[in-house]
Amino acid sequence: MAQSTIHPDQIYIDGLANNNSAVIQSIYKNFVPKVVSYIRNNSGDQDQAQDVVQEIMILLFNQAKANKLQLTCPFDAYFFLLCKRKWLNELKKSSNKGVTIDDDLPSTNEPTEQMVTEAELFDEKQQLFDLMFQKLGDKCQELLKLSFTIKSMEEVAEKLNVTYGYVRKKKSLCVGQLTQWIQETNRFQSLKIT
Amino acid sequence: MNEERYILFENYLSNLLSAEEKADFESQLQTDTDFRKNFEIYQNWTNFLENKFSPEAVDFKKNIESISKKHFKTKKSKVIDLRSWHYAVAASVTILFGLFLFQNINPTFEDYDNPEMATFVERGDVNENLKLAQDAFNAKEYKKAIPIFETVLKTNKSPEIQYFYSIALLEDNQLQKAEINFSDLRYGNSIYKNKATWYLALSKLKQKDFRSCKDILLTIPDDFEDYDQVQELLNELD
Repeated sequence: MAQSTIHPDQIYIDGLANNNSAVIQSIYKNFVPKVVSYIRNNSGDQDQAQDVVQEIMILLFNQAKANKLQLTCPFDAYFFLLCKRKWLNELKKSSNKGVTIDDDLPSTNEPTEQMVTEAELFDEKQQLFDLMFQKLGDKCQELLKLSFTIKSMEEVAEKLNVTYGYVRKKKSLCVGQLTQWIQETNRFQSLKIT
Repeated sequence: MNEERYILFENYLSNLLSAEEKADFESQLQTDTDFRKNFEIYQNWTNFLENKFSPEAVDFKKNIESISKKHFKTKKSKVIDLRSWHYAVAASVTILFGLFLFQNINPTFEDYDNPEMATFVERGDVNENLKLAQDAFNAKEYKKAIPIFETVLKTNKSPEIQYFYSIALLEDNQLQKAEINFSDLRYGNSIYKNKATWYLALSKLKQKDFRSCKDILLTIPDDFEDYDQVQELLNELD
């Protein structure tokens, strides 16, 4: 099968990207019970399963919004594998015992495996970005939050009671600071941008 | 930090450069690898922040939380609620109800008035007003609940809160206000869309406006969780 063939289950990804409640509910109804029973059978409880599912949903939404996520495998397999690996990683983090997470993954170019790897890289990048954003000073955080929520820089300036020129310059420098940090991070070299 | 460079990036992305400056910028992107890499990261950050703070992302998170809460709650309560004596009580109530309906020509609002419990405050939530509103609502003290809901909605307008607020209004006979809020939810995108439509129909029923009630019921899709109620009411209206 050609790698670029989009699976008909793409409807689920599109539904998530459009925040379509009917689609989201059908994902909960059809695919979540399997995840819940897997987590409950592997040292987890229902609340933990709920959190894992929620995080994966948000990951899929972000990924769909950021780079037009195109599904080349069934949604069921993709979603289950993502949740399962997320859960095993959590277990690994909480106990320091080595939990093998790769053993029952198909080892060759399965489309599912490829898609999961891409999603995990994306997730890692998101987490790194989130972490760095938290490291910014409060002033920068507030200004960036406002300028990306309000969009009009004139309004942002008015809200913060400073000049338009100042907010524009400050915004460049805050994003510049983040850019600089990323450049200094070796970890980013392995995470592909774009 | 190369301040000039970041200001230039920002101006380029905001389309504030002159044609000439833009051409210079783009040719530097072609030839200067360091400049290009730097710019790509800057652009990545811009995209990341745009998505992080977009209203769509905020709405999505709220919606997921509310669907998730609902999904896991019904699963839990099923385990508790399905005791056999509940079935027995439910069955006899249904029979009585059936007999009662038999004598009534037109259905009434009271027949279908069975608001669900509000459960906003869960898992370590500490919004005091929301807790007060929830308690008043669940105790059917709607007059008391309404002003508290209004306070909460000023700072936290979630479809879930708006939905229960609207039911409180309907129960308190503030029908016009209730209908405005239900309509708002009905044309929104939340999981309360169909429920709000159902309640809008009930509001018409309360006013004995059977025709509007029926017209609204007919717009509810059959995958609505309480569709059997819709069906029942439609049959009675015929």
